[in-house]
Amino acid sequence: MTDIRSVKMKFLHARLTSKLSIVLFGLVLIFSARAQGGPPRGGGGGPMGGIGLPLGFLEQNKDYKFPDDITKYTATDFLMLVRRTDIRSSFYNSDMSATISMVTVSPDRGTFANKEQIFRRDKDDAFLMLMVEPESRKGQGMLRVENNMWRYDPTSRKFTHTTLKDTYENSTVTNNDFRRWQRSIDYSVSKLSTGTLGNYKVIIGELKANNDEVPFPYIKMYIEADRKIVLKIEEFSLSMKLLRTAYYTQYVQIGDSFVPTVQIFQDGLIPEKRSQVTYTNISTKALPDYYFTKEYLERVSQ
Amino acid sequence: MRLIHLKLAARNVRRQPHRTIALGGAVAFSALVMALISGFVNGMDLAIQDNVTLYSGGHVLISGYTASWSGRLQNRFADDTVAKTVESTGSGIRTVSSIAQSRATVVFGTREIQLMLRGVDWSRDQLYHDSLILTGGDWKGLEDSRTMLMSAQTADRFGLAAGDQVIVRLSTASGQQNVTDYKVAAIYDDGAAGGMNTAFVAFGDLTADLNMKSDEQQQIAVFLKNSAAAEEAAQAITAGLSAQGFTVSRGSASNAGASGAAAPQNSSTGSDSFVSSITGGAGTAVSGSSQGGGRRLSQGEAVYYVSTIKELAGEIGSALGSIRWIGYAVFILMLIVSATGISNSYRMVLLERTKEIGMLRCIGYKKKDVFSSFIWEGILLAGGAALVGIVLALPMGFGIGFIPFNPHGDFGAALVQGHLRFAPTLGQFLLILVFVTIVAIAAVFLPARRAAEVVPVEALRKTA
Repeated sequence: MTDIRSVKMKFLHARLTSKLSIVLFGLVLIFSARAQGGPPRGGGGGPMGGIGLPLGFLEQNKDYKFPDDITKYTATDFLMLVRRTDIRSSFYNSDMSATISMVTVSPDRGTFANKEQIFRRDKDDAFLMLMVEPESRKGQGMLRVENNMWRYDPTSRKFTHTTLKDTYENSTVTNNDFRRWQRSIDYSVSKLSTGTLGNYKVIIGELKANNDEVPFPYIKMYIEADRKIVLKIEEFSLSMKLLRTAYYTQYVQIGDSFVPTVQIFQDGLIPEKRSQVTYTNISTKALPDYYFTKEYLERVSQ
Repeated sequence: MRLIHLKLAARNVRRQPHRTIALGGAVAFSALVMALISGFVNGMDLAIQDNVTLYSGGHVLISGYTASWSGRLQNRFADDTVAKTVESTGSGIRTVSSIAQSRATVVFGTREIQLMLRGVDWSRDQLYHDSLILTGGDWKGLEDSRTMLMSAQTADRFGLAAGDQVIVRLSTASGQQNVTDYKVAAIYDDGAAGGMNTAFVAFGDLTADLNMKSDEQQQIAVFLKNSAAAEEAAQAITAGLSAQGFTVSRGSASNAGASGAAAPQNSSTGSDSFVSSITGGAGTAVSGSSQGGGRRLSQGEAVYYVSTIKELAGEIGSALGSIRWIGYAVFILMLIVSATGISNSYRMVLLERTKEIGMLRCIGYKKKDVFSSFIWEGILLAGGAALVGIVLALPMGFGIGFIPFNPHGDFGAALVQGHLRFAPTLGQFLLILVFVTIVAIAAVFLPARRAAEVVPVEALRKTA
């Protein structure tokens, strides 16, 4: 009897061990696949992170109560509104990819157009941009990762360091315009007023850079309070001369985000010089981690 | 050497003038090409050094970078001790002046151009007063505040004349955008300055535009009495500054900063920036961690780079090096062809002169006498031809120097007032002469040995 019980126990142990082994093997397979297969569903390697973002940047703004009357806005309210526009124009819970069409009109160089593919991971303040058109410049790329930025030329097969404040392809667009917005971190409110822009009632905020390393020391933001979207931004030099005016004429809502799909940048010194940037085919599908590496840019550019 | 060998060789060279001209012509042409190439490469080398001195403002540059609040290195420093230490390092120094510079966009109407804007202390300047030729305006006009000295190329492109107002857009030392106005007070002939299109303004005006304090500067330019002494002066300055406790590196910031560019930066603005070159103007620089073997610099701490015109001329200089090597390759190929021609010709000569050699042997000529006369014939022919080639290269080289070239082209920096400079040296000519002679000896060696081996009786019998 004891022998039968002992045999039964052994049999049960063996079955349990075998089942546990299968479960463990399954877990190993799942984790291995995850480790090799890029970010989890939803993209970006987990929700609500953020390189270079102050503590509570995203959370504090969630339930902020804005005044109903736009004339009642205080500096704090406006800064929180700017933060809301920063958050809503970005994708902190997912990756983003889109096609960018850019047309630049310049009195010096005439009109020229190009098309790029952009891959963004706002959580890490990273993006990869690849030129698709014109054919002669296809494969040229730009990568921003870990607060560094490179341009890649497939002809010379060389990476050159570039900066956010550099202009893109002799246009009025800067590299910074392709990145996530974070004006609420870089600026403080110095003056507020209200007005209208076309048919829209806007709050006009004059902002001053928080430190001397922000490219534009002064900006003027025109924000539509109802939809909480930026319609226009004027950027000024240290000597308070208008350098550039950005118009955000069209928005598309994707999930919680409001993406400015049509952006017009007009030069302040040469008003005839302007660029229009249009975002199409916007997707929030998760992107593999290797997209944001120099090796991938080098490979995909060939 | 016996004089009889030389006399016999000289007579043999003159015996068949057509053949001598054909053979010598090939050798002379090789020597001519080589003399021209070496003379012009030398001249370009000197022109580049002169022009780079103009571009950079001095023979030795000391650039200072100070760590900002974010740990970034900004191209600015405020320490009088640096200039005093530099001044005290040697007697070969002509002037020591402060320099500020920035890459700027100059706007006039609807047109714009990117160029280097340099701040010069006009009251202490000698270099530009001596080197630049004004085609419009005058030096006195530049003493006024917010005035600009512009290149003729830029002025022509914009249709500008002295007295016109332009808008200048630039980045401050910390990387902020700034816009100011300047009046064009004078225009210089850029063709006479190696195609340089740098615009010059008063040092004080530019530092104000760069949002720098009155006691701050970006670079110290040292103008030496003898540009060839730049390397020694740089070493003395580096040693002097190090002895004073400054953190000093040799070479340009772009090299040292390469590692810094890859280092993560802390700024929340994210306006990461990088010094493209030592002459790349103001703006935020490399990450502070690039210095001191990865040590992060604390706010206000400064590092200095000492560079010379030789280093700054690096890229163009290496292109010249390539030209020099291509010249050598062409010269060697031409010499090989000539040597083959000489060798074949002397084999024919051997057949023609077999009877003569037999006769000479019969009247007492030894083997080594025959060998020597052949070798001397080769030396006379090739050496004489090389000499002719070198002599011909002189008027040709100086003549080519009169042809005007585009000073704004790829090699504009290697031109002197839009012309190539021919600057041959005696050493190079002697080298060409010696090399050609050695090749000629090698080419004649085998036929000469075979001539020496001729058996007199056999020779006379065969040719009777």
